[in-house]
Amino acid sequence: MPTLSRPLRYAALAGWFALLAVTPFIADNYTVRVAITVAMYSALALSWNFIGGFAGYPSFSTAAFFGLGCYVGALSQRHGVPLVLAWLLATLFVTAFAAALGTIILRLKGHYFAIGSIAIVEVVRLVISSWGSLTGGGDGLNVPLLSGGPDRVASTVLYVMLGIMLLAFIATLLVDRSRLGFGLRCINQNEDAADMVGIDTTRYKILGYALSALFCGTVGAVYASWVGYIDPTDSFSILLTVKVPVMVLLGGAGTVFGPIVGAGLFVLLEEFFWANFLEWNRAILGGIIVFLIFFLPSGILKLDYRRLFRRKSPADRVEAA
Amino acid sequence: MFKPSTKTAVTTAAAIAFVAAAALPHAAFAADVLRIGAPLALTGGLADEGKKQEAVWQLWLDKLNAAGGVKVGDKTMKVEIIKYDYQTDGKRAGQLAEKLITDDKVDFLTAPFGSGHTKIIAAVTERYQVPLLACVASSESVYDQSFKYLFGTLAPNSGMTDAMAALYKEKLPTLKKVAIYGRDDVFPKSMATSMATSAKAAGIEVVYNELYAVGTMDHSAAISAIKSTGADWIYMTGYTQDLILGRKQLNDLGVKAPIVTMVTGPAYREFTDGLGDLADGVTSSTWWHHATAYTGAAGVWPSTEAFYKDFTAAFKSDPDYVHASCAAAADVLVNAVQKAGGTDKAKVRDALEATDMLTFYGPIKFGPNHMNLGRDMPIIQVQGKDIKVLYPASIANAEMKLIK
Repeated sequence: MPTLSRPLRYAALAGWFALLAVTPFIADNYTVRVAITVAMYSALALSWNFIGGFAGYPSFSTAAFFGLGCYVGALSQRHGVPLVLAWLLATLFVTAFAAALGTIILRLKGHYFAIGSIAIVEVVRLVISSWGSLTGGGDGLNVPLLSGGPDRVASTVLYVMLGIMLLAFIATLLVDRSRLGFGLRCINQNEDAADMVGIDTTRYKILGYALSALFCGTVGAVYASWVGYIDPTDSFSILLTVKVPVMVLLGGAGTVFGPIVGAGLFVLLEEFFWANFLEWNRAILGGIIVFLIFFLPSGILKLDYRRLFRRKSPADRVEAA
Repeated sequence: MFKPSTKTAVTTAAAIAFVAAAALPHAAFAADVLRIGAPLALTGGLADEGKKQEAVWQLWLDKLNAAGGVKVGDKTMKVEIIKYDYQTDGKRAGQLAEKLITDDKVDFLTAPFGSGHTKIIAAVTERYQVPLLACVASSESVYDQSFKYLFGTLAPNSGMTDAMAALYKEKLPTLKKVAIYGRDDVFPKSMATSMATSAKAAGIEVVYNELYAVGTMDHSAAISAIKSTGADWIYMTGYTQDLILGRKQLNDLGVKAPIVTMVTGPAYREFTDGLGDLADGVTSSTWWHHATAYTGAAGVWPSTEAFYKDFTAAFKSDPDYVHASCAAAADVLVNAVQKAGGTDKAKVRDALEATDMLTFYGPIKFGPNHMNLGRDMPIIQVQGKDIKVLYPASIANAEMKLIK
């Protein structure tokens, strides 16, 4: 059921990307901050899509990867590693961590995997929180502030986040078109059958899981440099770990564009409801999410937009069926 | 596949249009208004504390604006407080600080409850060079980055623990062993570590010294270990919910110690309300208690008594240090604006640095790290239904009682 044609989708994405990128020139820093948040969540959502969307494994470990990225980035910077190198180090560390972890946790399936993955967030948070001598424990860590005035910092962070988002998108495209993407989709449909037809399911799942961690690590490290202070509660927030899958589901899980649409829409909705309904924003937002997921179970991208502009004719029904 | 109906799509489209409209910046402000931004935790884990700040600033604001506003030079300025709920979410706290500065164009900011979130906001205000008044962040680690625009009205923690150890040693000469059990979070942790140092210095043996993780729901293992040490002083730090649980479990497991200190449990009404009779005898230190009697103060309230009267009339409950410190912080800010003769941020910052005033909350003078300089901070005890002050002698209204 194609909706917008592919070239049109790429054009829309390029437009959205350009809009985010020009915010420092046309809007105030608060808007830039929203743009950074959009880019950040888009990258996280694209990452989650590898394991949650393509492979259909409901992972809730996003916050663990993000938080570890924050800490590895912050700690290496505090030990004199230059900024960009610290970000790369965080990326590598988190990816290796996920790959190692994946070999154990990916033996679980379905709900069991979901619970296992959420436990990882808690365990990593507790380890970071208890390892006071290294991580400062509950005191948190100061991260060297990025140099330059607020405008420069905002635009630097924005372009870095956009860069990560772009890389995550390119990775998604590559996976989508490769054997890996095909294999992950097979696992999603029927893991046993996939195994039987010769797909190395364990290896594919681990690859998918590691990919889902890679960009989270980078985003975490950049986030830490941006805010200048991290602590275990905020870095490993359960809210983050739930938000990201919701964004992907909102846009369309397992699609290439879905995570970006979902993340953008979610952040803007959140902004809007939060700014206008101070007391009730959480409840309203929750309601909207339930509504959208209930009525759009496969995400916004699966809406047939052309039908909006055309009266339903019997021919359509036949075609769509 | 017919499910997604036109209706749903229209709703979605409408929602998107709505959002786009909301994203347009809206800024309307007048020159003769002093605008103070307040990111507050009105929902989430710190909602109780956030609501206190909100309530007391409203009281302060009403009183100030009822009197016509603030005299700055030859004109009178109205004061406005723009507040947002950051939902006890650190990411949003930073975002809001930025929104307040760039979108709402506030002149100054106040920090929310807690040292961690104060730090996040301080990183933003430092970048924008906007003065930030922190009224509920007492850990020295918040002020150790020598930020130029951050000022705190609470005094450092270390002053409290020395006085407490000395006082208890005097009241209970047989006091030998203390068990210290603290929450692994910025403020409670620093109170615990600081007490360990003070106790040792006062010749009290620290027989147990552990931290518990944020979100711990069961203290029984730790309490059993404490019981086996035979400590005659139990010193626990944490936030109200932790302490209520800790006190109940101490009782359930039959731990008998003549002194139980819970920082800063008794400073909050919720603590005594939540525990009933079990709260009796629990001691704590606090930064402020309404039994202190400062008179001739500058700011909205001329004396502690006047503040207490207004507060109890408005809220039918006793104010605690959060209320007092935050109201005083607002007074300090206004005072600095008057001294600077306007809202120029750099000038106000300099004026803040030079602050030396007496408020209803006590004297305020910022030390080299921009924290309020230490003074005698009260040690309090729950006695029956009341909170009594044991120290300093000048405002003490009861003798310390031991728990039987």
